[in-house]
Amino acid sequence: MTETRPRPAFAHASEAELARILDFYQVAWAYEPRTFPILYDHDGAVLESFSPDFYLPDLDLYVEITTLKQRLVRKKNRKLRRLRELYPDIRVKLLYARDFRALLLKYGRITLADALSGAEGQATPPRRHLRADAARPGSTPPAAKGGAEGASRDGERPSTGSGRSRARRRSRAEARARSRAGAGSPTIVTTGTEMTA
Amino acid sequence: MKRPADLTADVAEILIPEAAIQAKVAELGSRISADFAGRELTLVSVLKGSLPFMADLMRAITIPVQIDLMEVSSYGGTATESSGLVRILKDLSSSIDGRDVLIVEDIIDTGLTLNYLVRYLRGKNPASLRICTLLNKPARRLVEIPIDYLGFEIPDQFVIGYGLDYGERYRNLRYVGVLRPEVYTSPE
Repeated sequence: MTETRPRPAFAHASEAELARILDFYQVAWAYEPRTFPILYDHDGAVLESFSPDFYLPDLDLYVEITTLKQRLVRKKNRKLRRLRELYPDIRVKLLYARDFRALLLKYGRITLADALSGAEGQATPPRRHLRADAARPGSTPPAAKGGAEGASRDGERPSTGSGRSRARRRSRAEARARSRAGAGSPTIVTTGTEMTA
Repeated sequence: MKRPADLTADVAEILIPEAAIQAKVAELGSRISADFAGRELTLVSVLKGSLPFMADLMRAITIPVQIDLMEVSSYGGTATESSGLVRILKDLSSSIDGRDVLIVEDIIDTGLTLNYLVRYLRGKNPASLRICTLLNKPARRLVEIPIDYLGFEIPDQFVIGYGLDYGERYRNLRYVGVLRPEVYTSPE
């Protein structure tokens, strides 16, 4: 397996951890490669869209990970329901906070769970870290030690730590991507790994 | 928190009693023997968790079998490893080229390890490659892998015993039990 591009700017430390797990088991993945419009206005303009965090091409499976508390995931559940209604052929799995905790427990890293969950896990690296990581194409970042430290070591995108600002940022990115590629087409293609097996 | 000497004190409930395991193993052994009648089978056990299941299953199979053992590194258990990639810690002792192979697993949850193992073993050109697992936890599945022989489908709980461990403990329990959450949420 070889790294073909620098790692993407993960929005959350839990995403970076999942990417490391997938890399470890040599499962190829792409980070947010496709945006699915899920709500249109009367003129056909996209009002709402959904970009699952990962696509696993060999398994033809999208994976969305959320580490929010269960009572706060209603919006994400609704988006996922809508996605499944509009794109019945798409296979998508939502990993909830409890699933992520179970995954870390399985791998003996339960102590990381809180640091990589919810607002604690949102990426807040200083910009110099981003530049340093960007200068090392193909490098594999060391395992996160949790929270912001782990995030910065992965070259994750800076954030104000606000869920709303992240949503705005993602919305702007989606709008840019739509204008480039057209709705429903792949918008970001970042292949983290190539499988050799 | 220091763990008690009595392992059973950490068990919240017994999920699958010993008798149920033994009955299921006998049933699986009969099915496998019938399906491979007239052929010779290689059982490949994945260390360490599947050892008790392997030991019981091979004795419940009545056709000729060879056994082999493999060990695969686990994510999170590789602090000293630099590659960050899954590794074969113990490879097969004999060739499986042209042989019927049955992977014997203790539990399948995410399917990530098994997915890797299946791809690895397919590369060794077995005549057939099937999967037998004592436990299946479908709620945790990331990689869908068809299971040919299944013991029990279990709920989404952390289970130990009959080979399954937490921190290398509890493997020697004769049943499959649910670990008390305090055990893995409390600092040692």
